[in-house]
Amino acid sequence: MLTVSVSTTCQAGRVIRTYICSLCELFTMAAIELAGLTKDYGEVLANDDVTFSVERGEIFGYLGPNGAGKTTTIRALLGLISPTDGTARVLGHDITDESDLLEGKRDIGYLPDAPSFDEAATGRDVLELHARIKGDERSEELLELFDPPLDREVREYSHGNVRKLGLVLTFMHDPELVILDEPTSGLDPLIQQRFAEFLRAESKRGVTVFFSSHVLGEVRRLCDRVGIIREGQLVTVEPVESLLDRSGKVVRLRTAEPVPFERFDPSSLAGVHDLETSLDREDGAADDSKAAFTECTFTFTGDVNALVERLDGIGLLDLSVEEAPLEDIFMRFYGTEDETGAERPADSVGRDEVGDEQAHGTARSSGGGDDA
Amino acid sequence: MLELARYDGRRRFKGSVYLSIGIALLAALVVWIFPSFRDAMDMDELLAAYPEPVLQVMGIRTMATLEGFLAVELYVFGWIILLGLYLAYSTAGVIADDVDRGRMDVLLSLPISRARVVGEKFAAMAVPIILVNVLTPIVVYVGAPLIDESISGADLLAVHLFSIPYLFACAAIGLLASVVFDRASIAQRVALGVTFALFLVESLLEGTDYEALGAIAPMRYFDPNEILIESTYDIGDAAVLVGMVLVLLLASQFWFRRRDIS
Repeated sequence: MLTVSVSTTCQAGRVIRTYICSLCELFTMAAIELAGLTKDYGEVLANDDVTFSVERGEIFGYLGPNGAGKTTTIRALLGLISPTDGTARVLGHDITDESDLLEGKRDIGYLPDAPSFDEAATGRDVLELHARIKGDERSEELLELFDPPLDREVREYSHGNVRKLGLVLTFMHDPELVILDEPTSGLDPLIQQRFAEFLRAESKRGVTVFFSSHVLGEVRRLCDRVGIIREGQLVTVEPVESLLDRSGKVVRLRTAEPVPFERFDPSSLAGVHDLETSLDREDGAADDSKAAFTECTFTFTGDVNALVERLDGIGLLDLSVEEAPLEDIFMRFYGTEDETGAERPADSVGRDEVGDEQAHGTARSSGGGDDA
Repeated sequence: MLELARYDGRRRFKGSVYLSIGIALLAALVVWIFPSFRDAMDMDELLAAYPEPVLQVMGIRTMATLEGFLAVELYVFGWIILLGLYLAYSTAGVIADDVDRGRMDVLLSLPISRARVVGEKFAAMAVPIILVNVLTPIVVYVGAPLIDESISGADLLAVHLFSIPYLFACAAIGLLASVVFDRASIAQRVALGVTFALFLVESLLEGTDYEALGAIAPMRYFDPNEILIESTYDIGDAAVLVGMVLVLLLASQFWFRRRDIS
């Protein structure tokens, strides 16, 4: 009797240990892991050896110009296309194994870049179909937030309404991971704002968010970390702050009186790039805009306080400070001149850094809930 | 299980009812015009005037009896050709149209396998296939005494029952086209072309050295003349049709599992 009970206890102990170990694995495992993911369409290498991972609970922005390969990565992660090389795991499930991935899909929400539903069905029909297949934990709450006209046929929906319905469907089964392809395009600013708040709240609840965008502003508002892809290659993965420090603002100003050129010269004010000036003076025949100007444009990556100081005392007619366009950032930091092979090494440096950056980002994201 | 089949089936219900009514009206028309044909001319003489290939293509045996007339005018023309083409065409849209319009992305993000998507969407085609076989036999059975003819209820029932595996086989041709081609319009044209070509191959090659080629055509395994005129029901033929449906369905599932959705 005694032997039996001891062995039973041992066995139970083993079972519990195994269970705890697998639980630990579950929690430490990254939400998304890409390992050398490659998709070669023959004429286009849409994803070229893409490797990075998205930690649980973080908001990860996948940034790149249109046609960079963002959607290819996303479609591969969902098993819609199969990689020609490499692989990836979502919530620990192998994307190249359909039945394994199906298990994962119960906990994944996906919003495509151009969601499309049965035109002749009403929003409610679509919602009910999804509820029956994947369950419905919270559609009521979501419908209060994004209210698509459920009783109308989808063919009567505006783009914004289709997207709102898509958002409800994406989150209705309370997924652990959501993958959103350009989620805010087509949403009006008010809903965009609401969506941003919602996404932050979701992230605080522990939901992992992976979304693609070509709009830097959107990414900076929302993300913990950013992966940048260009022409199918991952350029860098870094925390959003470091990207913002480097991205800069486009500053345009117009003055009533000529301003001496030195005032904004890169040598006198750190962080000024691409300074362009012009002088508008009635007697300006012999003028040189290199000496003074009434209008200027530059990209500023320095300390904004220093900039404000320099502006002090100038009689401004107009001033605008805007987010630098994504394309400019690529040009400045990663080089977009395709024909010059010399620009390429920047990529490989960027990619070598990925590992370190990831480690950094992981450490950050574990305590990063507060600043979200 | 079957959530998608139920959803798709419901969406097809209204259209299928209209289709069923339309075909029943065609049946009523055929029954109604039979007496004027029967009385106005010697039908066998008329048949003798047709060139042989026409008789062969339409599978005409006799048009002098209501059974023979219905077999040709309603079942060969309406079921084998019209409905066969319609189901091939319509089923060719079920996967390709969703892929074409980007709806498949959302569908496949659900925890539902590709094989199940194909299987359930195909299963939903049972709605038009069955509904179209509900109204017509009633119209014919009730219509016959009205023109002083009678028709065997068992034969009538049999011709409709045996048409079900035939129509599924035509739908399965469409299904295969639907998973192979990305664009619905191409899938549908291919399905129409293939189904009609199979009909021609089967009927034109009959009695030639190439007759064996017709063995791949579903039309070989459903013969309304045999059922209505001779009251012979060939279970073996129906089994071949069921086999064809399964092979095409499995091939479609296999293909769809392996392809990229782009």
